[in-house]
Order: sequence, then C-alpha cells, then structure tokens
Amino acid sequence: MIIAIIDYGVGNVKSIRNAFENQKAEVILTRERETILKADGLVLPGVGAFSHGMDNLNKFGLVDIIKDFVKTGKPLLGICLGMQMLLEESEEFGNSKGIGLIKGKVVKLPIKQSIQYKLPHISWNEIQSKKIKWENTILDNIEENSDMYFVHTFIAEPNNENEILSVTKYHNHVFCSSIKKENIYGCQFHPEKSSKKGLSIIKNFIKIVKQ
Amino acid sequence: MSENLEALYGLPSEVKFCKKCVISNQRPSSTIEFKNEKGEKKKVINFNEEGICSACVYHEEKDKGINWNEREDKLEKLLSQFRSTDGSYDVIVPGSGGKDSAFTAHVLKYKYGMNPLTVTWAPHLYTDIGWKNMQEWMHTGGLDNMLYTPNGILHKEMTKNAFHNLLHPFQPFIVGQRIIGPAMAKKFGVKLVMYGENQAEYGNAIEENTNPIMNMDFFSSDDEMDMKFGGVSMKEYIDDGKYSKNDFAPYIAPKKKDLIDAGVEVHYLGYYLNWDPQECYYYSVENTGFQANPVRTEGTYSKYSSIDDKIDPFHYFTTLIKFGIGRCTYDAAQEVRNDKITREEAVYLVNKYDTEFPDIYFKEFLEYIDSTEEEFWETVDKHRSPHIWKKEDGEWILRHMVSS
Amino acid sequence: MNKKRIIARIDVKNEHVIKGIHLEGLRKVGNPNEMAKKYYNEGIDEIIFMDAVAAYYDRNSLTEIINRACENVFVPITVGGGIRKIKDIQIALNAGADKIAINTQAVKDPSFLTRASEIFGSQCIVSSIDAKKISENKWEVYVDNGREPTGMDVVEWAKKVEILGTGEIMLTSIDKEGTKRGFDIELYNAISEVVTIPVICCGGAGKKEHIADVISNNGVDAVALASILHYNIESINDLKEFLINNKNNHIRL
Repeated sequence: MIIAIIDYGVGNVKSIRNAFENQKAEVILTRERETILKADGLVLPGVGAFSHGMDNLNKFGLVDIIKDFVKTGKPLLGICLGMQMLLEESEEFGNSKGIGLIKGKVVKLPIKQSIQYKLPHISWNEIQSKKIKWENTILDNIEENSDMYFVHTFIAEPNNENEILSVTKYHNHVFCSSIKKENIYGCQFHPEKSSKKGLSIIKNFIKIVKQ
Repeated sequence: MSENLEALYGLPSEVKFCKKCVISNQRPSSTIEFKNEKGEKKKVINFNEEGICSACVYHEEKDKGINWNEREDKLEKLLSQFRSTDGSYDVIVPGSGGKDSAFTAHVLKYKYGMNPLTVTWAPHLYTDIGWKNMQEWMHTGGLDNMLYTPNGILHKEMTKNAFHNLLHPFQPFIVGQRIIGPAMAKKFGVKLVMYGENQAEYGNAIEENTNPIMNMDFFSSDDEMDMKFGGVSMKEYIDDGKYSKNDFAPYIAPKKKDLIDAGVEVHYLGYYLNWDPQECYYYSVENTGFQANPVRTEGTYSKYSSIDDKIDPFHYFTTLIKFGIGRCTYDAAQEVRNDKITREEAVYLVNKYDTEFPDIYFKEFLEYIDSTEEEFWETVDKHRSPHIWKKEDGEWILRHMVSS
Repeated sequence: MNKKRIIARIDVKNEHVIKGIHLEGLRKVGNPNEMAKKYYNEGIDEIIFMDAVAAYYDRNSLTEIINRACENVFVPITVGGGIRKIKDIQIALNAGADKIAINTQAVKDPSFLTRASEIFGSQCIVSSIDAKKISENKWEVYVDNGREPTGMDVVEWAKKVEILGTGEIMLTSIDKEGTKRGFDIELYNAISEVVTIPVICCGGAGKKEHIADVISNNGVDAVALASILHYNIESINDLKEFLINNKNNHIRL
C-alpha cells in the first residue's frame, strides 16, 4: 500500500511525509501521472497563496491528474491550501480558479482584524462536528472540541452543508475546518502539525486508504 | 626560514600561534610592574614542543588532573583559620565589581560564611556600566566596599609617561591595583587577601599554578624610591620638584618584613575552585545585580569582560601594537580553553575584531594623557616591532594573523 | 475558542542547546533534538530554534537539527538566526521548518521582509525583534543577537514590520531574558496596542505566575519560554493546568 504526496514546490512536504511514516505508511513524493494514479491514496499539501498554488499545479498538469485520481474512488486528502484548492475559486488577489471538485469558494476570514483578533489566524483551535458523523471518517475517534493547529487567512465555504465535516470558531465567525465528499477529504488545519491527535487523523486516513 | 627582522622587547623573533587556542608566543607573562622600565626584555608565555601554550596545558591538567573536592576541602581549612567570630572583617577581596570579583566576594560571604571587605583601586575613568555594576555589587550583592581613588594629577602624569615611554598606559594602575589588597589588609589588621583567578590560568609559569599564594615580589618592595611609574622612578618624580613623597602614599608597597610580621597571605580563589569566567558572569547577574555592557565591547565580541574603565580599551590596543594580539585574542583564547567556543570560531572572531580601533573613548583618553592625536600615533608607531608589523601602501598590517 | 500558545525557545550553538542572560553567555544546557522531543511529548504547542551565534560567524547552520527534529516532533517549528538571503529561507523550509524568524537582515533591508512574504507567504515569516529599555515606555531595537543598537524605536518598528508583510512578531526583552525575574509587561502592552498580527512574548519567565501575568493581555497570543523549561523549573503540564484553572486562560491541553 503506497500513499502519494504531490510534490509541486508548494508546502512542507517533509513534515507530511514524516508524519505518515511515523504512522507506518509507505509514502512517495511525486508529480508523475503514472505514479499518482497507481497510488492507493493521495495527499495534496499546500501553504501560501491560492493563485501561486494553482499556478504550480497547472504548470505540472496536475489538475487533471488529481481529477482522474478522484474518479478512481481512491481517497484524497487536501491539507490547508490543498483543501482550499479543491473548491471552485478563490477571491484572493482578484479571482483565481480552483480544481473545482467541491462546489463553493474560498474567501478571506470575515472578521474585523483587530488587536485582539489577529490575522493570519495562527493558533490551536477547536473542531466540532456539524452534519456528518465522524465515525469511519478521518475524524474517527477524535474527541469533539479537539484542538488542531491552524495557520491561515482564507477559508473554504462549500456550497453543500453536507460536505462540511467539522467547523471551528474564530472570534465571532464559524467556518468550515474540514470537508468530506465521498472519497475526498480536506483539512484547513495541519494534522501533521497537530501533535498526537493530528497523527491520529493521519492514521485514520491511512486506514481508509487500506480499505 | 623567516627573514631577519628585528624583534623589539626581546620577543621571540618567530611568531607562532598555539595549536589549541589562539594565543601567540608573543604574549607577555605577568611582571613586577613597578620594576618595569623602558627597553626591558619581556618574559613570554611558554609553548611546548607540540606547539601548545602553557595555559592550554594547564587547562588539560585542570580538567583531568585536579581533584576539586580536595581543593575545596583545602579552602574550607584555610578559611576556618581566618574566619572571624567577633564581627570584624576577615578577608580582603580586591576588585572593581566586575564579574570575577563580584563572584569571589559574594561566594566567600554567602557560601563560606566569611566577612569580606571589598577594596577597589579606582579605574582611571569609570564607565557608566562599570559604576552601575560597582554600586549593584554593594546594594544588590549585599557587600561592604572601600573605593580608593588616587590623586588624579599624579596618576594622569604617570599614565602619560607610561604611555609614551612604555606604550603601557595601564602600568601605574596595575602597580596600585596589586598593592591595595595587601596594603589594606595590613591597615585593617586582616590577614587574608583573596583574589579571583590566578593569572597563571592565562599562561604564566606553571609553577605559579600549583601555588595558591601570590608571590610577594608583586606587591612589596624594600626600596620605594626605586619603584618605577611609567618608566620614571619615584625619586625622579620627586627630584623634578612637582611632587613630594606624600603624593606617593597610595603606591608605596608595604615592606616584605612588615607583611610577614602581620601574617598577611594573598591567595587565589582560582586555586581552590574550578574557575570559569563565563560562570562568574551568570553568578554575578543572578546574585550581585551585574549587567553586561549593552553593546559589544570594541576590539572583541564579548560584552561582559573588563567593562568598567574607559582607558581599558587602550590597554588592549597597546598589546596589539607591541605583541600583535588584541583584546579579542585574549577573550577568545580563554573561551576556547573553557570549552565555550571552538578554535575555528576563535580564529574567525580574532580575524574579525582584534584590530578594531577603540573609537568611543579615544578623545577622553587623549585628554587624560594630555596628548594630541599626532603624538598618540607617533608613540604608537615607534613601538611597532618590525617582526610583527609591516607597512603596505601606507597602511600598517600585521605580518601574522592566527589561522585555522 | 482559539488558544494561546505555549512555545519552547531553544537557542543552539553547534550541537548544544545554550542559555544566556541578556542574550550573553553560552552555557550549555542540553541537546537540541532531545530537548525538542521531550517538550513535544510533554505537550508543547510549538518550538522555536534560534541559532545563537549566527551573528558572530556570519553563517547559519541549523539545517541538520531541523531535519532531525521534523522526524519526531509534530508541532510547528520556527527557525531563526542568521537568515540573510531568500536562499537561506528556502533551505530552512526544505529542511522542514514551518516558519522563519528574521531580525538583523530586516533592519538592514526592510524590503527583504516584503520579498520573503511575497515568495513564501506571510504566514511563514516571523519578525524577531530584540528590545532594550532606554527610558520609561521607550525601547530601542537591537540587532546582531543583542550586540548592536540601531537607534530605532521598538513600537515604531513593530508597526512597520506589519505593514511590510510579516505574519507574526516575536518580541524579546533583552533586559529580562535569562533572568527568570518576569516579563517586561509594559513592553508587550505597548506593542499589543498597535499591531493586528500575532505577538509572541519572549524573555524573563521564571515561574508560572509570570506567564499568567503576560498572557492575560488580550493582544498577546503566545509566550516563548526558555530558562524555565531548560532548567526544569516548571513542567509544561503543570504550567498549562495552572493557567487554565487559576487564571481562566484558553490553553491547549
């Protein structure tokens, strides 16, 4: 069983790889079509600007490869920017087009930036369930209100409420902190940086890949 | 084969650097300062056949060959001989409130139950941070102090002479500094004087390291009129008409016989405790309110060594001129031996900072020694030994800098 | 509810963790990777590795340490000390760091902060500011690991770095750091009134109460601890429990 992590020059792939290996998965860093399609699971990492991430994905022809992978029904996990790019578009720097696997868009956290409520949102914060039960998902056996590590200014807003796996509150705004649509998963937070509970989420993804 | 270049001060004509630390074989050993006169030959640090200096050899011995528990027992025994029971002072600790004397005095009082009187031979010109640390030593460290400031008119003249005759402006200061401990001990009826570290840590004769007691020759004299200040004898100053013997009261070294009769003993705490200058820094910050210099000290990378006297940088500048090694070399060599930095790092630092000119107090120094900038450089250039310096494109360059 | 972060700051020289006072002194107190692992297992929220002597030797050399740290430590890692070029940032990120702290170079060339934020994203650029008090409510910015004064006012500089694009500020009090006598509370009060990016306080923690005092400020988002952890004065767990139970703070357990 092998999990492919997309290496497209964006994101801390090293940490993700270390986290997966820590949870006993065999991992390969790649952007080759063959390798990706052959893999049993796929991870799309990413940090930074939406447009920059999409530019790189497009440069390497990865958008179609990702879509093709998802069609096979095997599990995909998007992390942080990787999750955001699964949506249709982002309002960051004008309008950028995303991969479009999830209907909805990416917007700036609509809170008033102040001396108490800072942006970027850099902190450990609680995830809570919404419509989807966490059993048998990547959040299987994770306690409600567990703290995960967030570092972002933008958030994903899926059109379909039923695709929201968890929500998180920052200041007076509740936003989507993880998504699930069939075999597609996404975390706004960084499970590979969220200590032991984060590693459990990775373990859960590995379990799902194995099935 | 090196060129046939003249080597002043009787220094070794071939310049070598220790293979373990960064000191050079030109480093002068401690001398009896009031005998220091113009043109005299310098004794220097010893290098063994493997090219390692005696300070490094001593340090190896220190790490492996000394039983520090035994030494501390010796200290307890020594102190119990002198410890007072009637509230009187029982040990004199000379020092300026720098990290070393701060540590020494505080640990003697609060760990070993002694009753120290600290005595300070005043710096020529206190820096703000030096004065602050001195006060904190008393106010935060909880110690008693006598600050002894010699007549500035005479001191300035002696310093001026020392600068121009010996290129050693600190010479008169060192005379007074060495004498004050035993002199105050005798005056107060205290028998024990305790310094911090032994200069032998830095490369004086090895024999001095196995002896906790400072050689009396350093601070006693049987012929005061012959004592030399800035290369000029006391007799000459008096004969010139401006001064009388009264003015020399602070410098008159006690007679050996008098010290022996009074039972005065001068020891080094560095013989009894495993001395680490950096740990003295930590200790003094935590216990005596010591603060490092807010900015890097000129001529080195350090911020906490010797920061109380504005004239101090010129002491090191003159060692650079005469011996080719500046303040950074001294600091770095010590830190290599104490395992704080590696030799490579020391080499880097020396090359970066050693020749930096101490600008900040230059004007004040010139005023203090009543000399013009021209006179300053004239004297400096006269003292550059040809085997250490050469002139290239109108600039003076060191022939040898330490390398990895 | 978002949580305030408890961060371990590990100053490194070669293969040793060192701890100074007033950013001076190189006393060795442990091994960097062992210490990072220990703090991670004990529940630390984040780790900052600072190359303590990069300024002296015109180099930076934490790559190996970060490489190893990422294998065992699954919380965010920030790296700083001697970051002078875009290449230095890339190397550190490739080694596995999540955030990069920049001090001296930002003062020398403020546009460096902007370029770095544009290339790597502001969320991974931390502005490290070392402050020395010069009079009532006035602090001066120092560079080169606390050795060189700049004549700049800390509050003004903090405002500026936010505009330049940095994502976070780590503010160290030179007067307090290493002393274990408490934080310079006024310093953090002054800064937190003027910036809207996260602020990490650093310097002076000696007991739990010190941390409680500074973290209750709404504008403070995190504290970076060194002596109190390296000298085993408080355990991370005891500290966190104290902050939650006694002072009602929002901290991750």
